[in-house]
Amino acid sequence: MTVASKFPKFLSTPKAKVAAALGLSGGVVGFGSGLLIGKLEKAGAMTVEGLGWSDLLSGLIALMLIAMGALVLIVSVSRKTALRVLDPGSARDATPAQASYYRQQGLVCLLAGLMLAAPVLAISIFDPLPSELAAAVMMGIVALFLVQTVGNLTLWSRSDELVRRVMSETGAASFWILQGALFLWAAGEKLNLLPALSMWDAVTLMMASYLLISTLVAGRRGFGS
Amino acid sequence: MKNRLKVLRAERDWSQADLADRLEVSRQTINALETGKYDPSLPLAFKIARLFSQSIETIFQDEA
Repeated sequence: MTVASKFPKFLSTPKAKVAAALGLSGGVVGFGSGLLIGKLEKAGAMTVEGLGWSDLLSGLIALMLIAMGALVLIVSVSRKTALRVLDPGSARDATPAQASYYRQQGLVCLLAGLMLAAPVLAISIFDPLPSELAAAVMMGIVALFLVQTVGNLTLWSRSDELVRRVMSETGAASFWILQGALFLWAAGEKLNLLPALSMWDAVTLMMASYLLISTLVAGRRGFGS
Repeated sequence: MKNRLKVLRAERDWSQADLADRLEVSRQTINALETGKYDPSLPLAFKIARLFSQSIETIFQDEA
């Protein structure tokens, strides 16, 4: 009996290989980032201790978005790897239009991660943060936001009807869930029953919910199969 | 909604990606249609009907 035959058949499928590669990349990125942050903190170049739960959560989401965006950008540079990694079911080269669509998706994801990371990084690297530097970071975020918005709108127009449906359903579900949750929290806060949430807390919760809901909606519509 | 997309595609020996190219949609859309996870828009249903030279109701059947 060979080593390969000892494993269940599904573990040798292209999808399983891609999932394993993605899992490994995630582990490397997560471990590497943790190691880097630890070293920077030890060297006094960064302060993580004073960060709140929303700073840590948004930092984690930002890291995931940056890693995912970078991975999509890297694999979609080549038409050979683009579809084989991002849509293993295709098992063929991507067309130039498909590769450019994936590159744009990667870029939009990367920009979203950078925007989310920038305020948290700024306050953890510079303590206290000078107002001139805060203004410069804010201007950078606004510029990234404008580019990312154009990218998002272009992605919508380049997507087919299934992707648009997933985006619409995610938007609708996110609004329905978050308006309810935030209303209930706000009511509790008004009645002095719950602690106050900052805008950053609310944005972090919204981003985390949106990503979770979009994964569920995409899975329900058959993405990844 | 049930559909005969997989059968019609197999009769022509097309892959999901081949059909996706002909309909100008992604392969995931074809997969979602075939597995009943997504019902097409009316314009896409007409496009599918024209491609296979069949009526919409021959390809798509209401389960109710």
